[in-house]
Amino acid sequence: MLLTKTLSSSTFKQALIAIGTFGVIASAILIYVYVSTNSYVRNRTDRAIATEYMSLHNIYDRAGRDGVIASIRERMTDKSFADNLYLLTDPSLSMLAGNLRDWPAAAAAATTGWTEFRAIDSLPEAATVPLVRATTGILPNGDRLLVGRDISDIDGFTAQIKTAMILIIALIFVVAGVVSILVTRRTVGRIEQINATSRAIMQSGLDKRIPLRGSNDEWDRVAENLNSMLDRIEALMGEVKQVSDNVAHDLRTPLTRMRGRLEKALHNSRIADHDQALISDTITDLDAVLRIFTSITRIAHIETNARKGAFRTVNLAEIAGEVVELYDAAAEQNGTSLVLAGDCEVVVTGDRDLLFDAVANLVDNAIKHGRVGGHVVVKVENLEGGAVTSITDDGPGIPADQHQRVFKRFYRLEQSRYAPGNGLGLSLVAAVANLHGARIEMLDNAPGLKFKLWFSPPPLPV
Amino acid sequence: MTGGHRRILVVEDDPETAGQLIEQLTTSGYWVDLASSGAEALRHGAANDYAVITIDRMLPDFDGIAVMRQLRDDGIAAPFLIISALGEVDDKVRGLRAGGDDYLVKPFSFLELLARLEALGRRSETIAKETILRVGDLAIDLISRTASRRGKEILLLPREFQLLEYLVRNEDRIVSRAMLLQHVWDLHFDPSTNIIDVYVGRLRRKVDDLQAYPLIHTVRGVGYCLRAPD
Repeated sequence: MLLTKTLSSSTFKQALIAIGTFGVIASAILIYVYVSTNSYVRNRTDRAIATEYMSLHNIYDRAGRDGVIASIRERMTDKSFADNLYLLTDPSLSMLAGNLRDWPAAAAAATTGWTEFRAIDSLPEAATVPLVRATTGILPNGDRLLVGRDISDIDGFTAQIKTAMILIIALIFVVAGVVSILVTRRTVGRIEQINATSRAIMQSGLDKRIPLRGSNDEWDRVAENLNSMLDRIEALMGEVKQVSDNVAHDLRTPLTRMRGRLEKALHNSRIADHDQALISDTITDLDAVLRIFTSITRIAHIETNARKGAFRTVNLAEIAGEVVELYDAAAEQNGTSLVLAGDCEVVVTGDRDLLFDAVANLVDNAIKHGRVGGHVVVKVENLEGGAVTSITDDGPGIPADQHQRVFKRFYRLEQSRYAPGNGLGLSLVAAVANLHGARIEMLDNAPGLKFKLWFSPPPLPV
Repeated sequence: MTGGHRRILVVEDDPETAGQLIEQLTTSGYWVDLASSGAEALRHGAANDYAVITIDRMLPDFDGIAVMRQLRDDGIAAPFLIISALGEVDDKVRGLRAGGDDYLVKPFSFLELLARLEALGRRSETIAKETILRVGDLAIDLISRTASRRGKEILLLPREFQLLEYLVRNEDRIVSRAMLLQHVWDLHFDPSTNIIDVYVGRLRRKVDDLQAYPLIHTVRGVGYCLRAPD
């Protein structure tokens, strides 16, 4: 099964293309080497034959037919001319001298020039049938002269080169093929491991991880990244579960109240006043349920980033001013002094409604959880690091170890569990800040709490 | 209001919701026509003169917004109240931009619907070009932006004046908290706190304390109504 996957994998196909290209180039180089070696060797032979022919021709010019016959006979006995073949005939092709018995059939038609033939009937002492390369010509008196050379060993040499080259080419293809199968198999094996883990996750759960080989190669990095992605997903799933548990709890409480109330009313006799109160209480509880519901969908909607299209340039100071004005009455009722401070013109790119909602939530929290008769300051400034909105109260504050947790949905400090609110306000603030690329900072105001929204990243703390 | 202007077209595909709407609107003195699909809405809308058309976003055949556009293109001037389960701010803004006059998110309280219908129906009436509006012994001057009762000036912040003006303009009608947020603060969401009540509470102390009779009345579960005694 792994082999089938290997052969059908794209890596293997790519390897085949690479092998093909490389093989064709290597073959072309080897063929070129073969052809040029061959022609070099032949050229040398041809030159030697031509020189020999010319020297016999010169002898004819000096000493005539008899001189040539004498020279040929002399050369046939000379060891240093052992590879040479000679044939001198009269115009009717009957032999006058030489070590070749008959005029070769291959050269019969052509009276002059180069020819190659198997000297079957020459040199009876030769063990093998030699391959001969020869040049032929007609002497001025009409005699014919053939000078040749046994090129069997040259031929053998080139044939050997040829065989070697073919073997090398074959070897290249075979080795490359085998190596690419092995390499592809390794790749396919890693991918198969990832696939198997994915299938296991789909079937059983998010607790599986892709095993690392410790080779620190790109596959390990892919596996590492996938694993950390799985960690993140698992954490998010955990959070979702936590949230849905909380949602279930926060929704169940009013729903249980409503159900109990209605059930009691069903069994009791109808009393107009009671019914009136019951219905009105039920509607109030229903509204609370709906509000939680709306808040959750609203946060989810903001978190999908869909709102970015509606971003405009807005003045943060103006928004903060409007929030302060809206909450002025509530602060007054609480005996809190609510003050706006800072610059008048702090421009950011964002969504007015959302920014208003975020600042309003922070101000609402500051008034609600601050000290009765305390001070809440909303400050909007242009700082070097960007636009900053800070909301400060002088109430009990939040313990430093719980700073991060308050942004979780439905998270409420133990002491404020029974205060009005649904624990979604800061999640909304976090979602809005995230959408605007703003950073939230929570500082201890000793006493109290300071929320800072940085609309551009502040300089990194040293 | 003439009989013709108490006539409302309800475009709603859920039979139970439609039934409740018809029953309650009829009880409140409206003539109600029902269209349960976009095609029906187009037919009714073109054939009759309605004071208000309420339209659901998700209809079985067309998007409510498309129906609204078509009716507008056909020259129907009646105000549209979009009633939809899509409640995000950008859904609202998109609906309003496409020619809707107001937006209500499902589920809604019937009193809220009634308040919005009243406010929309009034738009088609001519708005008096007076510069001083009076309700009982309250007078507000739209030019100098001041308010007084029995000639005694009430000191108001600019936003408080805007709030009072909106209540006065909707005299005798219920105004919901969401409507106040929308028209006085230009906010298209519910801050889900009692912040509006606190704000109106302070305005009420300024307007009604130490007076012969109260003008600003709380309507339980919905909002407020500014009304002089008969």
